[in-house]
Amino acid sequence: MAEFNTSVLNKGDISVINLKGYLDAHTAPKLENNFTQLIDQKRFNIVVNFEELAYISSAGLGVFMAYIEKIRENNGDIKLSNMSDKVYNIFDLLGFPLLYEIYRTEDEAVKKFVGE
Amino acid sequence: MKSKILKNQGNTHLRLFIAAVTVLFLLRLITGRPDSLLLQILQVILIIFISLFLLLMLINYQNRQTSVPLSLVMNLGILNAVAFLVITFADVITSSLLDNVNQMISSPGLVYGVVSILYILIFIGYYTYVLIVLRHLFFLNQIKNASIYFNTMVMFFIMAALSSQFFVSESLSFIENTFLIVSVLLMIFNSVRISWIAFLSKKEKVYLLILSVVISILFAVNLGNTSGDGIHGQVLDSFSSSINSFITTVMLYGVIYFFVLFFTTLFHLPTAEAYDRKAQEVSSLQYFSKLITEVLDFNDLAETVTDITIKVSHSNAAWILWRDNDQFTTLANKNIGYVDSEKLNKIILNNIAFDKINSTRTISLTAEHDKESQSAPFELLSVSPIRSQGAVKGLLVAAKIEGMLFAKDDLSAVETFSDYASVAIENAQLLEESIEKERLEKELDVAREIQKKILPDKEPAYENLQISSVFIPAFEVGGDYYDFFELEDQKLGFVIADVSGKGISAAFVMAEVKGIFESLSKTTERPKDILIRANEILKNTLDSKTFVSAAFGIIDLQNENLCIARAGHCPVLLLREKETIQIKPSGIGLGLIESEHFTENMEEFMIELKNDDTIILYTDGITEAKNDKLEDFGESYFKDILLDSGDCTAHDLSNKIIKEVTIFSQNYSQYDDITLVIFKFESRQSAKAGQERKKISAQGGSAMAEN
Repeated sequence: MAEFNTSVLNKGDISVINLKGYLDAHTAPKLENNFTQLIDQKRFNIVVNFEELAYISSAGLGVFMAYIEKIRENNGDIKLSNMSDKVYNIFDLLGFPLLYEIYRTEDEAVKKFVGE
Repeated sequence: MKSKILKNQGNTHLRLFIAAVTVLFLLRLITGRPDSLLLQILQVILIIFISLFLLLMLINYQNRQTSVPLSLVMNLGILNAVAFLVITFADVITSSLLDNVNQMISSPGLVYGVVSILYILIFIGYYTYVLIVLRHLFFLNQIKNASIYFNTMVMFFIMAALSSQFFVSESLSFIENTFLIVSVLLMIFNSVRISWIAFLSKKEKVYLLILSVVISILFAVNLGNTSGDGIHGQVLDSFSSSINSFITTVMLYGVIYFFVLFFTTLFHLPTAEAYDRKAQEVSSLQYFSKLITEVLDFNDLAETVTDITIKVSHSNAAWILWRDNDQFTTLANKNIGYVDSEKLNKIILNNIAFDKINSTRTISLTAEHDKESQSAPFELLSVSPIRSQGAVKGLLVAAKIEGMLFAKDDLSAVETFSDYASVAIENAQLLEESIEKERLEKELDVAREIQKKILPDKEPAYENLQISSVFIPAFEVGGDYYDFFELEDQKLGFVIADVSGKGISAAFVMAEVKGIFESLSKTTERPKDILIRANEILKNTLDSKTFVSAAFGIIDLQNENLCIARAGHCPVLLLREKETIQIKPSGIGLGLIESEHFTENMEEFMIELKNDDTIILYTDGITEAKNDKLEDFGESYFKDILLDSGDCTAHDLSNKIIKEVTIFSQNYSQYDDITLVIFKFESRQSAKAGQERKKISAQGGSAMAEN
């Protein structure tokens, strides 16, 4: 399967995770590491940018569910942004828009945190 | 068996030896000093026999021992010292005890007989052992069989000795002299064959140097003592004068041999260290190449690598700088603390581009602060890459303290060594991977087996409902599940689900999901309630990142309707009169959220069924099937195929869809399970109507005419 990469950028209190490539059962541990590290650093305000993500499988979706509870307990949140229609459809099918705030742009998501 | 034969042989030799000695002893008692030629010859023959049997016994004994050349040389030294003492004491003691030795010799008593026999035995033993040891050393590390040279030399010794006894007249002394000269030439020739000293270590060579000078002197002193007119000569002469001259020749050989040995060793000394180093290198490499095939544990391997690195490069410390998930760590540090090595790692990484290093480099830690920052005063580092699968995985570092330099040899040794290490580490990793792969395949076999047992083996049969189901597993079990539940009152329940994740864990969740739907379908009537209950159970049992997408529906064949609820699954498609209707009531995946929130968002969809309605259930294995350009099969293409299919049975339609998916993704491996379930409904009324139509047409054109 194709490659998957992440990069984490800190913008003040908010951390932005950029996803690139194919997120599936095999590549999911990479993203899990990112979340674990951010939680260890007590950075609970997280925006995930899907701009360069080509594909997400059900196991990839599972990663977000694994950490959301802990993050929300600490008054943080995971907000999602820049999804392609294809990726959004997968989220939508499972009812994720009811569980997560999904924004068109990263700025919108970041602003939402600042606004709070 | 063999050893018994050998032992018997040894016993025979011993018996013959004792017999010969006894005969010699008796002869001595009876005749005293032999004057007749016959007796002289008899004595010589007896002595030769005694020597021969002793020689055979000693050779037997020697062959059973694994003797180190140095200890043999040491034995010679001891033997010579003993001979020296015996000769000296014989002179001193006998001359003080006995007034007239000559008289004693000519008319011997019992005591003298015993003493003289013992005395001669000591010297027979002496020269036999000397010859055996020299012969052993002569054969050491010889490539060609050169025994002929040695044997010829001994033969000449014997000839010279014999001729000294039997050709005593002036005119014949040239015979003895000729034999002697040839003997000496052969001695010198044979003394040069001492290549065995090349394989000694430097320490051993120094030891040998001292030994050889001492032994050479001892041989010379003994030689001087025996050729004098002392009691020693007289006693031996009383048996046979040739034995005395034989011993002298052997001693001369000893002097020459150890003299040559001394100088050769002396000239070997300066290169001894270099030789030692090369030998160590070779043996380390041998040891390591053996290790490559044996060591399976990565950490053991790393320890060995640094151990041997220190040896081959003569460094003071060594360690491996290893990259693990973009983090640099120290592995198998030898003679250097972890903290120090971590400090030096930083310096190394500042000086060298980790990924680009392709040969051994040295870094000198000249800057003062570099040296101060560590407890051991390392000054020079050599850094070699360890590669695996084409990429630099780590660096093999060797360090030398102040004032030491890396010789060119050291560096090439480290370089060779890092190559070996690379191969070994690559092997270890490949092995780990293949074990992992095998484990995974076994696991997948189990998962596929579970999945096969969970899925229904045949579709239920209904008069007015065609059912077709297709399931194509992916290599890694994808977690697809579908099932039918035959309910009361002509109702058919069905479910299609997809567990997140893959492999054996997905298979286990499938088994759980099957159990849940089996029982809920019996107790709960409405699809919505079944999914709500299923979510309650799964939310509690699944881990937070696992969930299940599902669609549950009930077809009521009596009342001709379809009721569906969906929990995050792909929409259900309804093909009706050349149109596809997407049935997608809202609903969140199972196991994602708490019941309350789940229930709030759960809808149910109910539709009256019409004749020829086709209901299509599928998993994302179809819509996400990919071609070689990584394009998705997609929903719209799927719908196009459905609309294109015209009027056909459920079975034909499912064949057509699978065929299209297969053609589309023929150049790309199937990544997810594919599940397709199709129902085609035939309304009873229309079925009756249809039958009537058939009747009418069978009756001929009369009814038609009426119309």
